[in-house]
Order: sequence, then structure tokens, then C-alpha cells
Amino acid sequence: MQQQGGWFQRLLQAGRGHGGMFSALLWAVGLLSLPALAFGADVAPAAATEYRDIPYIGSRNLVWVVAQLHLLLAGFVLGVPIFAWLCEVVAWKTGEKRYDKLAKEFTKLLTSAYATTALFGGILLFLLISFYPKLMNYLTDIFFPSFIVYCLLFLVETMTLYLYWYGWDAMQDGHKKTFHIFLGFMLNFFAFFIMIVPNSWATFQASPVVLAEGSDIARAWAATWNPTWWPVNIHRLIANVVLGGYICGAYAGIRYLSARNAEERDHYDWMGYVGNFIGVFGLLPLPFAGYWLMREIYQYNQQMGITLMGGFLSWLFILQAMLIGVLFLGSNYYFWLGITYRIPGSELKYRKSMLSMLIILLLCLGVWMTPHSLVASLEEARKMGGTHHPLLGVFGVMSAKMTVSNLMILVTFMSFIMYWRAGKEETAGWAKAAKALMSALLVLAGIAVVVLGVWGYFVPAIIRINYFSTSQVMIVLFVMLTITPLTALLLKSAKTTTEMVWGKMPPRAGYALVLNAIMVILLMTLMGYARSSSRVHWHVYGVLRDSSQYAFSPALGYAAGIMALNTFLFCMIVAFIFWVATMSDKAKASHS
Amino acid sequence: MSEVVKLQLIGLAVVGSGALILLLVRAQFVRVIGFVAIVLGLFTLTALSVPQMASLPPVEEKFDIATVKTPTDMATIGQKIFFSKGQCALCHTIGPSESARCPDLKGIGAKLSREFLFESLTQPQAYIYLDYRHGGQPKEYPARMPYINKNPIGLSKNEILSVIAFLQQMSGEPISVSVAELEVPGQAPAAPVKVAQSGPVAVAQAH
Amino acid sequence: MGGSLLKPVILIGIVYAILKFVVPNIPGSAPLPASLIFLYLMLTTSGIVIFATLSGESKDAFWNPIQRFMTGENIGGLQVLRYGVLLLFPLMVGWQTYSSTATSDAPPSENRTIHPAPPGEYTGLSNPVPKTPDTIQQGKGFYAAFCSPCHGGNFDGKGPAARGFNPPPANFSDPTTIAMLQESYLFWRIKKGGVGLPIEGMPWKSAMPRWEVELPDEWIWKIIMGEYDGAHQAPRTWE
Repeated sequence: MQQQGGWFQRLLQAGRGHGGMFSALLWAVGLLSLPALAFGADVAPAAATEYRDIPYIGSRNLVWVVAQLHLLLAGFVLGVPIFAWLCEVVAWKTGEKRYDKLAKEFTKLLTSAYATTALFGGILLFLLISFYPKLMNYLTDIFFPSFIVYCLLFLVETMTLYLYWYGWDAMQDGHKKTFHIFLGFMLNFFAFFIMIVPNSWATFQASPVVLAEGSDIARAWAATWNPTWWPVNIHRLIANVVLGGYICGAYAGIRYLSARNAEERDHYDWMGYVGNFIGVFGLLPLPFAGYWLMREIYQYNQQMGITLMGGFLSWLFILQAMLIGVLFLGSNYYFWLGITYRIPGSELKYRKSMLSMLIILLLCLGVWMTPHSLVASLEEARKMGGTHHPLLGVFGVMSAKMTVSNLMILVTFMSFIMYWRAGKEETAGWAKAAKALMSALLVLAGIAVVVLGVWGYFVPAIIRINYFSTSQVMIVLFVMLTITPLTALLLKSAKTTTEMVWGKMPPRAGYALVLNAIMVILLMTLMGYARSSSRVHWHVYGVLRDSSQYAFSPALGYAAGIMALNTFLFCMIVAFIFWVATMSDKAKASHS
Repeated sequence: MSEVVKLQLIGLAVVGSGALILLLVRAQFVRVIGFVAIVLGLFTLTALSVPQMASLPPVEEKFDIATVKTPTDMATIGQKIFFSKGQCALCHTIGPSESARCPDLKGIGAKLSREFLFESLTQPQAYIYLDYRHGGQPKEYPARMPYINKNPIGLSKNEILSVIAFLQQMSGEPISVSVAELEVPGQAPAAPVKVAQSGPVAVAQAH
Repeated sequence: MGGSLLKPVILIGIVYAILKFVVPNIPGSAPLPASLIFLYLMLTTSGIVIFATLSGESKDAFWNPIQRFMTGENIGGLQVLRYGVLLLFPLMVGWQTYSSTATSDAPPSENRTIHPAPPGEYTGLSNPVPKTPDTIQQGKGFYAAFCSPCHGGNFDGKGPAARGFNPPPANFSDPTTIAMLQESYLFWRIKKGGVGLPIEGMPWKSAMPRWEVELPDEWIWKIIMGEYDGAHQAPRTWE
């Protein structure tokens, strides 16, 4: 994994050489910031105040809630354009108007969601300046050039967004549509930079690098390229797609539940399908990105790695396994419901394979959720000889967890393929051979993953991490990358035996969609806590110590309470945004 | 009532009100809120069901000359500085590593004299020591060595000496820094970076 | 009351029986803690619910008997049972509340982190003692003198004094102990002992001595080499 990481970073750094525009921008920023320098020199050394607090709530809790909400909203605002743009491209390529309508429906949310995100960002900034002057001074000193880049990015992003949204209807045909698609691309392009610039501030706090003397820009640039910057960027990018997809699913689920006529039911059923599809699409590679991030953290600092995986936060990862497990189960459940309800007559045909997939998923989940250090009473611990179970303790280590998460990804991928193929009959002459090949691939991949996982116990950790885990990931990716185009090719010539029927899903499908969205949001809040408390008592890890009264990391239960609160508040904000954005549609619909 | 019990009660109340909503209310949006409340409440209760443990920050330690009696004490302090305030470990490792951004410092205390170590820390550009061991091109590292005795790291002379003591200890060498060299605050410091000002020590005692 | 409800109940019973009576009797195993059994039963139950609600028919077959039992009319003798269940539920909540608040002499369940994160200043150390057959042999000698009474002459955590300790001394031949850790981690543990653990490692539980008082650093590094060699394990490295 490290090799790839290095390769990727080199590629990006190479790209920097050609990005003349970007460096010109940096220069411009540097020039613009010169007056600021002079201004800064006049100011006397900052007052000795290092922290401020507010009564009852506590400064840390308030910053926690606001920062988490800002991040969730940002994830939403960055995820939705990717989602909308993908839909628009699909509509453009296939000529299916409903995708265009869907894309527009979601872009409409963006303007208000964007403002809300900026609002929370502003509140967060004021709170940070008020509560953590010491930290903010330190970070400003290093990063002020990129603060200004960030502002500029916001300007262009806002302009692009306005053009993209208000120009939607005006740019529908021919070249205008092409330009509109290009605008959508630029929107995502700027949004990506809007994401990675603040990521560099946050990742610098977790994995700082030493800063030698140099110009301000050189220092900011050096601090930006810290070891966990790109892993976090990639992880967040994928996670934003997942969030966008599942929130779309949840919205469709709620609208489906309260739909009043067949037309609405059709539309929102279909929308839920698209949302879940895109969510799963992002979910499948997400664990790999997470693994890369975790590995970089471990390599950056052993203490931080152990705090996360085996130490203070190890129970957090059991909770994470629980949430991811529910997410995987929920997504598969929705696929399976789709097969039995949308494709009449297919239920009995697929029941057996669904059962076996369900059993594999549950077994994997059982392994994943088995902690290394168990919760046990004194009596139980005595019988086991410690808090490690002599037999099931082997499930508690990385080798087992990697194996089962790969298997779960494989199974979910199978569900997805099964759903795709349901109700169609392949007519190609080579269909039989292709199907045999695909099942052989899946079975072989499954066996290989398990063999590597078991073997992993008997080799030194470094071989397991560098070769075995990487091979497992490669095998799964290879299976996905070969079977997907093969199936697409196979289905091109297939004839449809049963048309999909929309609007027949039971209410529990709507609830499953809502559940999936809640799981994704909870996971994001959970990992936000993990990222923050893996720094233990440091603001900037190993460099700037947190000497406030909130230097401790709260226990998991208390943290979970705040996570749940954040999730709820975020859901309410999103619901409000949806409500505001669709108000005029409803009014129009009732007038006509 | 302990905090955990309070939180558990809140969690139960949330789950209960969610269940009541699902039982009694027909409006779909409210029902979904009830469902979300149940999920979030159950999540919190699960997290509360494992034994709770907060992580407390360790006690902040100050460099106090009065406690330093032997060179080993200095090395112990130097160890802490190396891995925190001195920021050395942000780049350097002791022992080989894939992620090393700078030269590996394993055995450095045996390879280099203490004067040379002091100069490398305070005048990093004075004598660039190329790493020839691997043969071929000298190795390039992504990070540049900062001045350790200046801001932002700004270690005092005492602290730098402690780090040198630690490096010598980690190389299995007798520590050649003595406690008497430490400056006691209050007394006039006798040229803080004396060694550094006397010009580069251009002889690397590499062997 | 159809058989469709009976099957899940039997299935849960079987899973419970396996976890409770079969798994502990596998050689080298031990009884599972209640928390783990609960977790696995929850997984089984959710699997049953998912499978039963996959299609309209199977959902009806699963849910209708329950609904009829709870709200239907003319269920005859089951009426009594219904009231029984309705009474049982609050009673169970009451019992749960009572048992969680009543004073008891059993210590609370614990969740001790066996391998907590080491302090920063120990994470990056590497063994300064060269690895030669000689030094390893010396390390084994020190191990025999200082460590083997508890951790065992066979590095299996079963020394003559081990039975006196709870938690028991670590078993180095288990691949999930020292093979997962770097040498610097062991250096920290040996040097600072049980009292040097952070709070999540429950320093009050471990009887490991603070060897820095007794042994010079060099000996500790040699012991670490002897330990890995004797237990046929290799330290975790990044090379």
C-alpha cells in the first residue's frame, strides 16, 4: 500500500510542476498577503490568554458539535455535486430525462445547503478564535497563505455553483449542454480543492512535519504535505460520495413513505434505487482507503496507531464494525427487497442464494465484531485466563478483520450483480462460459482471501501488512474490475424477461434507506471523535500540547451521546433544507 | 446517580419516545423521526454498555536541574525532548523505517563526536554530512534540518545537551556529557552556544 | 401458531447451546463471556428477521402469528398467555433495573486494554545491542533469572509463580502478544512495569515489576532479544 501511496503522491507532485495556473495563483496570494505581513509585524505579542470557556456547555462540547455539523454539511455539499453531476452525465449519455430531473432536483438543494455550510464554517471559526487562541495563533502562523487560497477557492466555487444551477434550464441543448456538463465538472473540481485545503490543516494537527526556515509559502506548503494528507483526502472524497448517495436514498425513502399517488411512488422508488446504488458504489472501495489511512497513521507514529487500534479507542472500532455491519446488511437487504418486489416471480429463484449470502455476511460480521479484549466479569475472566479468549481471541486481530471485511465486500458485490442480472436472460452464445468464469472467479477469490487471512497468523507482521493484506485488497478489486465489464457486456445482448416494476416496495424498504443514511452519518461522527482523540492530549501531535481542562478524551458512552445528538441535528438541518427547497414545487403542483 | 446512569436514562427515554411515536402517530415524517430516535438511542445505549474509560493526559514534566543527578537522568530527559518538544522524531527515526524523512539516527552517538552533534543541531548547514553508506548517489531526504536552538523549536542549551546524552545512550556509548555542564538558571549563562560560535567543527569522526 | 415462528426459536436455541456448551469444550478453549454470547445471539436474531421479511409472503408468515397473538381476537387459551407476556415485559424491565442498581459483592465487568499505547518517548526506540548469538544467550540467561518465575521457562506464561496472578502473566508464544509489538514496546513494559501503564491498561491490576529499578537498560534490551528468540517470534518491524 505504501508503494502505491508514494506513487500517487509523486504523480500529484509531478502534476504540480505543470499546474502553472495554480502556482501563479499561489504567487498572487503571496503578493496579496504582503500587506498582511506588515500589519502582523506591528501587532504586539498576543495576550497570554490560551483558552476561554463557556459555562454549562463547555467550550470543547460546543466546538465539537459545531465542527461536526460543519463537516457533515460539507460532506453533503461536496457529495451531492458529485452525485448530481454523475446523474447528469448519465442523462446526457443515455438520453434518459429522469436522470436529468433527478440531478436538477439535487442541485436545487445545493444553494441553500451551501449557505448553511458556510454559516456553520463561520460559526466554527469564531468559536475557535474565541476558545482556542493559542492553537489558532499557531496554525495561522503556519497556514495563513492557504487560508487565503481557501477564500479565493470559495469565490470561484460560488460563482460556478450559481452558473451551474441558474443556467440549468437555459443550457439544455447541444453545445450548451456540453458546457453545462463542463461547469458541473469544474464545480466538483473546485469543491475538491475546497475539501483538501482544510484537510491539510486538520491532518497537520494529527501528523505534523518539522518546519525549517523559509518563506511563508514554503512553510505552508511543507506543512500541507504531511503524511496523512492524501490518505484523508481520498478517504473523505469517497466517503462524501457515499454520504451523498445514501442521503439521496433516505430522502427518497421518506418521500416514498408519504407518497400520495402512483406517480410519486414510482419516482421515489426509483430515486431510492439510484441513491442506494451510488452509496454502495462508494462503499465498496471505502474500506481500502480507510486501510491505507490507518496504515499511514501507524507508520507515522506507533503511539497513535496503537491508541486507535489496540489501546484506548479499540472499543470504538468494535462500534464502528457494528455500524458498518448494519450498513452492509441494510444495503444488501435493500437489494434483496428490490429483487423480490420489483421483479415479480423472482423470489423463489433467488431465495437460496440470498440465504447463503446472508449467512456469510453474518458470520463475517460476527468475526469483525469480536473484540480482542472482551468485556467480562471477574469470574468469566478467570475462566478464560485474562480478558483474551484463548480460542476466539484470534478473531480480535487485524488479520481476521481484514479478511472478513474483504469477504463482506465480495458478498455485497455479488448482491449487486445478482440484482443487475435479475429478470434478464442472456442470449449471447458465450453466456454459459462467461457465467461459469464469473462464479469460478468469485469462489476462487473468496477462498484466496480466506487462505491469505489464515496464513497471515503465521508470518511476521510486516509481511502480512505489506503483502498479504495488500494482495487481499488486490484480489477483491480485480474481481470487481473484471466481473463488472463482463456483466455489462453480457447484459447488452440480453433480453428482458420481466420488466422492473416500480412503486411496489414495502414500507420497510423506505425505513432501510433511512437506516443506511443514519449509519453513514453516525460513522462519520464516530470517526471524527476517533480522529480527534487519537491525538490524545495534543493540539498538534507531539508539538503543541493541550493544556486546557479539556485535554482528556471523554469515555465512549458520553462521546456516543454527543455523536447521536450531532447526527440528529444534522438530519434535522438536512430535512429543513429539503423542505425549503421543495416548497415551491409543491405549491406549483397544487396549483396546476 | 452516576453520569453513566444518567446518560442511560436519557438513552432509554429517547428510545421509548421513539417507540411511542411509531405506535401512536400516523404522520410519516414524524414516524421516521421516531425511527431515527430509536436507532440513535440504541447506539448510545450500546456505547454505554461497555465499561467506560476516559483517557487522561499524563502529567506535564518540566526540566528541573535539581532532579538531575547522573548522566542517565539527562538521557531520560533527553529521550522525552527527542520525542516531543524537540520534534526530532517528526523526521528522524532510531532504527530503519520506511517512512523516514531524514537520516536514521541509530548508532549516531557512537559515530559522531558530541561537538559534531551539537553543531549539527545548532548550525545544520555548516557541514552537510552525506550518507555514503548505501553507495551511489547520496540519499535525498524530503525535509530540511531546522535550527534547533532557534524558534519555532527553540531548545535551550541544557535541553540540547540532554538530547545528545540520550543519543549516546541509545548507541550503547558511555555518555560524555556531564551534569556539571548544565546551566543553572539565575547565574549568568556563559555564552550559551559557545561551541557553535567557535566555527564549524569540520571533522566528522565517521567510522 | 405456525411453524414459521417455531423455527427461529429453535435456531436461536441451537446457536445458544453451541456457544454455551460446545465451544467451551473444544480443546484449548474456555467458556465465553456473557457479553459475547449476547452479541452473537443478536446477530442471529437480526439475520432471522432479515430473512423472514425478504418477501411479502415470508413476512406475513412470520409476522401474522405474532400480530394475531398480540392483537387478534378469538385466540382462546392464548389469551392468558398474551396477558402473561404483557405483564412479563414491565417485570423484566423492573428486574433489569433492580439488578443493575442493587449492591453486589461482584466487581463490575472490566474492559482492560492489554496493549495500551506507549508514551511517545518509547515509540521510536530501537535495540542498541547488536544481535549476536552471544547477546541473545545472555538475554536468555537474564530471562531465566528474572522473568521465568512468572512468564515460564518455555515462554508460555506458565511459570511456577504464574498461578498466583490475575490477570495471568503474558504468554509470549501466543502469536497475538509480542509478535504484534515492536521491541521498543517491550522495552517500555519491562522498564516501567505494571504501575507504568496508562489508565486504560488499569495499572492497579498488573503485578509486573518496574525493572528499571533493578536492571540497566542494556540488560533489558538483551532480555527482549532472548525472549523473542526463545518464544520463536519476531518483533513487528517496518523494514
